[in-house]
Amino acid sequence: MSGWTIIGVGNRFRGDDSVGPYVIDRLRSRLPSSTPCIENNGDMTSLLDEWRQRRVCLIDALQAEDQATGAILRLNGLAEEIPPTLCRTSSHGLNLGEALALAGALDALPERLDLYAICGEDFSPNASLSAAVEDAARQVEREILEKLSLHTGGV
Amino acid sequence: MSKHKTVKVDYLARVEGEGALYIRYDDQHVHDVQLKIFEPPRFFEGFMCGRDYREAPDITARICGICPVAYQMSAVHAMENALELVLSAELHALRRLMYCGEWIESHTLHIYMLHAPDFLGYPSGVAMAKDHPQRVQDGLQMKKAGNAIVRLLGGREVHPINVRVGGFYRLPTATELAALRETLLPARDIAIATVRWAAALCFPQFERSADDAYEFVALSDPDEYPMNRGRIRSTQGLDIPVSDYDQHFRETHVKHSTALHSERVGRGAYFVGPMARYNLNYSRLSPLVQQVAREVGFPPFCANPFQSIVVRSLEVLYAFDEALRIIDHYCAPERPFEETEPRPAEGCAVTEAPRGLLYHRYQIDAAGKISNAKIVAPTSQNQKTIEDDLRLMLPQFMHLAADDLQAHCEQAIRNYDPCISCSTHFLKLHLDPVGAAP
Repeated sequence: MSGWTIIGVGNRFRGDDSVGPYVIDRLRSRLPSSTPCIENNGDMTSLLDEWRQRRVCLIDALQAEDQATGAILRLNGLAEEIPPTLCRTSSHGLNLGEALALAGALDALPERLDLYAICGEDFSPNASLSAAVEDAARQVEREILEKLSLHTGGV
Repeated sequence: MSKHKTVKVDYLARVEGEGALYIRYDDQHVHDVQLKIFEPPRFFEGFMCGRDYREAPDITARICGICPVAYQMSAVHAMENALELVLSAELHALRRLMYCGEWIESHTLHIYMLHAPDFLGYPSGVAMAKDHPQRVQDGLQMKKAGNAIVRLLGGREVHPINVRVGGFYRLPTATELAALRETLLPARDIAIATVRWAAALCFPQFERSADDAYEFVALSDPDEYPMNRGRIRSTQGLDIPVSDYDQHFRETHVKHSTALHSERVGRGAYFVGPMARYNLNYSRLSPLVQQVAREVGFPPFCANPFQSIVVRSLEVLYAFDEALRIIDHYCAPERPFEETEPRPAEGCAVTEAPRGLLYHRYQIDAAGKISNAKIVAPTSQNQKTIEDDLRLMLPQFMHLAADDLQAHCEQAIRNYDPCISCSTHFLKLHLDPVGAAP
């Protein structure tokens, strides 16, 4: 079975959008070097190489008016519909759904894709992480550690 | 009696940022063309004021996720111009290498994912990938090679952090450059194949008459294809130092857009970007690029904007060729950067972003705080030309069905690879609180 890769998507300098890199920073020191922890600033095309035939946990911020700040959406990225506001950092590139469609066309899909979308409220430049989003990030961090422990017999 | 018709595109697809298009026409005339930009203004120029001059490269890099290197390059060169600092040839070469990486990243994304679907009849790059997977793979491999350049020189591929006023924080090692070379060599071969493929596409015929001829504007330098230095030249005889930019180019506000429109003082619209660079600097392209251009029958001067995809592919090839030349002739600078001391000063710079001229001007005070900043992005300079293109080409396409007409208009806009996020800055904001003391 292939190994796990953790990907945190977001911009460190845009408030709640930094939640992906925030989780990556915290997990990096707690996971073995054989589990890549990759920060992605929004270049979705690079995901195709990073997740190809890997089992992936991907963390990103989500803008959703009908969800409370800090709410966590857990999705099976290969089976469920991807919210269009997930991973849309630039209209010049691809969003996550388009990246998955492209990966499908190019035989570059991950083996498994567990998405953790955390609902943010403030995405303005230089803003800090909202308290509720930070709590959610730590919850996601715990869940990922438990998941990897379950699948690998300890991390 | 002719009946009025409109083309209304609420959201332009496959361009950066949020823009819309409105055209009103009838059987005889085009009455109105508006490229609408309604992205909220970001006030980068405003919030730079009061910040340290050394922060400008990192702050401005965040204006755009597609061309952050361009913003860094214009910002550092403007600051170095203000402080009368001239970099060594070795540091200049590394800046140029980094810019090659950005041209590759930006142009390959545009060629394969944004523009090619127009020529091959697909609604998106993803749809195209299903039928042409190898083409898209080729584009992604070249982009990856561009990423590798920017990551090595800039510290990371998006929003790089290694550029500083006076040079770089860290220099690449010879071993790192040798590894990069191995990545670039096969990618250059793909770039040659890309030129051949792009030149064989079917292009709409669109040539302007002599009365409406474009004024192409680009940097031009006697020693190199332009990236970071040169004089500003045009096909209508303009030939000025960068310091005279504000005397010849002016931004104006138009009602239908939050982006300022730039125009040549006394002349009007002008055209910046790959075609302008190519047309004004063909002789400075490397022998390999000129050879491939000749091989595919592409002329040294091109005025059909639909063929900009070929020019971009030639510039991608040039960027790979130039990057390899720089690596092969690399001589490590004595120091990674030259020290700078702040003083009251004003400086400006123009560099060649993938989409064209990018002008920065700054004033700093004795403590090195930025007191004034001005940034003119390529897309705001091309906006009037884009609208003029649509106005002029529409009579040829009026007979088309509404969907086809809209597709042609969108393709015409994508010829310019507009970066609407970049172009969106705004008039100075005046807050006038009620009850404030006069």
